[in-house]
Amino acid sequence: MTEPHPIPERTKIPVPLTPEQSAVKAVRFGSWYFAEHMFRQMRNWLVSIAAYSIGSPLAYLFAMGIGLASLVNSSTSNQFSGVSYQTFIAPALVASTALMSAAGDFMFPVMAGFRWRRIYYGPHASPLVPEQIAKGHIISTFIRILLPTAVYYLIVVLFQAAPSPWGWLSVLTASLAAMSFGLPLMAWVATLKTDAGQFAMVQRFIVTPLFLFSGTFFPLSQLPVFLQWIGWISPLWHATELGRVLSFGYPEAAWLTVVHLVYLLALAGFGWRLSQRIYAKRLAE
Amino acid sequence: MSAALSGTESAADSAAARVANRRGSFGALYSGNARSVIARGLLATRSTNWLVMLSGFVEPVLYLLSMGVGLGSLVGAVTGPGGQQISYAAYIAPALLATSAMNGAVYDSTWNVFFKMNFAKLYQGMLYTSLGPLDVALGEIFLALLRGFVYATGFTIVMAAMGLVTSPLALLMVPASVFIAFGFASFGMGITSFIKSFQGMDWINFVMLPMFLFSATFYPLSVYPEAVQWIIQALPLWHGVELLRELGAGVIGWGTAGHLLYYVVMTVLGLILTTSRLRKLFLK
Repeated sequence: MTEPHPIPERTKIPVPLTPEQSAVKAVRFGSWYFAEHMFRQMRNWLVSIAAYSIGSPLAYLFAMGIGLASLVNSSTSNQFSGVSYQTFIAPALVASTALMSAAGDFMFPVMAGFRWRRIYYGPHASPLVPEQIAKGHIISTFIRILLPTAVYYLIVVLFQAAPSPWGWLSVLTASLAAMSFGLPLMAWVATLKTDAGQFAMVQRFIVTPLFLFSGTFFPLSQLPVFLQWIGWISPLWHATELGRVLSFGYPEAAWLTVVHLVYLLALAGFGWRLSQRIYAKRLAE
Repeated sequence: MSAALSGTESAADSAAARVANRRGSFGALYSGNARSVIARGLLATRSTNWLVMLSGFVEPVLYLLSMGVGLGSLVGAVTGPGGQQISYAAYIAPALLATSAMNGAVYDSTWNVFFKMNFAKLYQGMLYTSLGPLDVALGEIFLALLRGFVYATGFTIVMAAMGLVTSPLALLMVPASVFIAFGFASFGMGITSFIKSFQGMDWINFVMLPMFLFSATFYPLSVYPEAVQWIIQALPLWHGVELLRELGAGVIGWGTAGHLLYYVVMTVLGLILTTSRLRKLFLK
């Protein structure tokens, strides 16, 4: 038998928390614990998330901002409020990338949580309440969208396509738009009992039209009137216009800027409340 | 049900006959019954949501409406493949058709196969029967091409309705886009056989996105410096885009033959790769 190691004086031996202390911690930090769990899962995707956050802006800014711009600029007198085509589309690209990753991150992991892998049911058996699980999911996804959006904006700056000093705020408005689209979507996905191809439909009949008809590559007014309404209800159009105001001083009535912001906040707030209510109901089943 | 039961005996006989017929270098892989896989696929399609089927056709149409109409009003006329001036919508429409042929074929031969293999465990069941991996592969590729054919026909009709078809040769865009799809599908399964996880599948999109954006889809190749032009011209989608663009405008020549040849070579190489990987793909 070997001699037992002497315990150094200063080492603290962890003491288990009392049930009361655990309860207090669960109530106070529960959402963050669940967010941490989500982050640990995302680690598997870290390389591809990083590659996308750098590759996608480079591809779009080169292809659309330089390649396509050569056609657009050569054939029209400037229609883009006095800035280059690249500067004009950059805020739209930032916002649409944020919104599109929200579409993925508020569909598949939610379905995985309730059905495919039942990830939510483990935490649900702990002191966490369903509202915290919903909030934790939202917090982790928000940060997971915010960081690549910030990277996107930095690359836009490197392309010199964001002249205004307030441009960095468009990172926040783009992430807000991702929430105002993603949170109602999350609430809807949480009601789904089976997976019958709905996600492909959302991608093709909602996300793609939003990307294409939200004034991303041309001012909304270029579209025939019967297609313009898509832009008006699209969080992406509101975020794009806000981003343009912030990043190059797009001339727009002040009330309209306020409308954009209020619309995005209202949708996000609605989704925030609704998703928590639906999680509570679904997990209680 | 009773009909199926009474047919069991003769079905067993013919299956035994097919297994006995397995000869030659493909004997271990192929039982000459890909049509069963196709019949199963068609039956499964009938019971799925028809909107899911329709959705594959809608995407290129939306792009055509948005970029062709919305952006087209800013761009105006551009130079077509024969040097003539054509509308921007007519310029990008064949490129969108080529892209959708690529996307459809790649999706069906990678994501779809990956899912059916690892989650639905569909092929396991099939391979317990007299079917060999090559039956499964041929059946799946045929189904993907059939879908591509239907979508391409639909898209060409939309082009005609928008007044973007100016030459009878444009009808050839339909078989040509099936041909393009075949080139991509023949490679897709071979590549899927190397991929182990969803994270790995993600890299497929990572290659497809720049190819879509840079292959002279939305603007001519002349924008790029010469070195970049060479790289783009080595990629398959560029040949597909140019092929359909030339057919769509009715301007064909040696270049058209060159694009076709590219796809012939690609398909042959893809089939060699996929066949050599079939055991790895389906038999685990």
